[in-house]
Amino acid sequence: MKILAVCGLGQGTSLILRMNIEDVLRELGVDAEVDHMDVSAAAAEKADMIVASPQLAPLLAGHKAKVVVVNSYLNKAEIKKAIQENL
Amino acid sequence: MLAVAQWLANNLFGQPAFLIGLIVLVGLLVQKKTASQVISGTLKAVVGFLIIGTGAGAIVNSLLVFQPMWAEVFGLQQQALSNFMGFETFSQKYGGAVALVMTFGFLINVLLARFTRFKYIYLTGHMMFWTTAIWMGVVLDSLGSGTTVNTWGLIAFFSVFMGLYWTLQPALTQPFMRKVTGGDDIALGHTSASVAVLGALAGQMFGNKEQDAESLQLPKGLDFLKDSNVVIALLMGILYVIGAAIVGARSTPAALELVKKAGQNSFILYSLQEAFKFAGGIAVVLFGVRLLIGEIVPAFRGIATKIVPDARPALDCPVVYPYAPTASIVGFLGAFVASLVWLVVLGKTVGYVFVPTMIVLFFHAATAGVFGNATGGLRGAFLGGVITATVVAWGQWLMVTRLLPTTIPDTAMWAADSDMFLLGPLVKLLGGVLRFLFV
Repeated sequence: MKILAVCGLGQGTSLILRMNIEDVLRELGVDAEVDHMDVSAAAAEKADMIVASPQLAPLLAGHKAKVVVVNSYLNKAEIKKAIQENL
Repeated sequence: MLAVAQWLANNLFGQPAFLIGLIVLVGLLVQKKTASQVISGTLKAVVGFLIIGTGAGAIVNSLLVFQPMWAEVFGLQQQALSNFMGFETFSQKYGGAVALVMTFGFLINVLLARFTRFKYIYLTGHMMFWTTAIWMGVVLDSLGSGTTVNTWGLIAFFSVFMGLYWTLQPALTQPFMRKVTGGDDIALGHTSASVAVLGALAGQMFGNKEQDAESLQLPKGLDFLKDSNVVIALLMGILYVIGAAIVGARSTPAALELVKKAGQNSFILYSLQEAFKFAGGIAVVLFGVRLLIGEIVPAFRGIATKIVPDARPALDCPVVYPYAPTASIVGFLGAFVASLVWLVVLGKTVGYVFVPTMIVLFFHAATAGVFGNATGGLRGAFLGGVITATVVAWGQWLMVTRLLPTTIPDTAMWAADSDMFLLGPLVKLLGGVLRFLFV
């Protein structure tokens, strides 16, 4: 399973999200590869799930992956809930 | 024995790409990652570092069209961008030093967070990379090109300086950050801190807090501003085309020389393609930085949380956008308008062709907009953007023509920003005082 964490530039914020997703997956006992990138790169990348903010999610409409919306990239409880619901 | 050490020094530590691979390898081993994660992480970091140089070369090539084109538009005589090292050569020579400064500087940051009341850990890895590179470029420029540089002195000086900067910058910004986030859980760790603070102060003085930017409804059509590739291609495209249209209509020798570059093809479309190559170059560099930093930062965070459990992370500037999304767009619009004004003013007064790069303007002005809104509403947000463009425009002129014309002025045109400009003179001064360390 492959999960992408995205932000506008694909540098810092998406990396923080990636690390939080990795923490959450460890808690859930789920084995997945997580990568971070900017939203245009993600649009062209194969994945099973993409985690994005409400502002970026519309830019990924039509992507084969499941687009999961998270309001706060720092709120691990929210990230955990969103991922659990979409596994 | 000595021969072995010498060989290692030359071939491993003297080769930045391998040195960086080694640092990441150690970082991943310390975190007890699996063999497959260690191999892929190390290789990604090495390849990422080498990609950065390739992308930087592409950016310089299209700047070599942008510069003379706008110089001709403004009727400027001298060409600013010549006889410089460029980021490709710089990273081959000093990339290893930058990587070591990031490592040691970060450890100093962690120790300061552990033993002082400044409990901030700087986690914005790509800015750690650019800030160190730009400021190192400033010191190397002031040493002169004929000097034999003592790399270890350079590493020692910058490790301490950057360690202090990474600790104190979030601490100084935090009073305003609390206003923005309404809490004390996260800090801002970014070189846009100075314009964010200036934006907040301007909002306090000239703004109206009652008129919050968030009560304003922005059109849905501005959604594309969230995608950095689109924004850069679009706005640089507009600037290249305007420049090409003006130059194409002239028959001065310089104008004819430029138009000849397009050969049989339309000069305007040729220029548009250069604009897109510029955007492409930035995308390539960012791809490289992503591969490199994506492996280093998690290792850093792992170390920091073990040593300083109660620390607050200092994070990249987009973390503040959700607190005031409209203000972030208003800030960018303020910066966009002001940067076009500065493009003309700088061209007409000091004779400098300003490259208004959208990455710096967007991300910094949006941050300053959010901070300005927290103290001064809509007007504060707009002012934050105007201040950002002002600092970036005049700062770029200062950096490129005065602080690092012989080292990496190309990088200062698109990857250097507010704090680097404002603290640049201080770095030069300290570098001059501590000259004995480097020579």
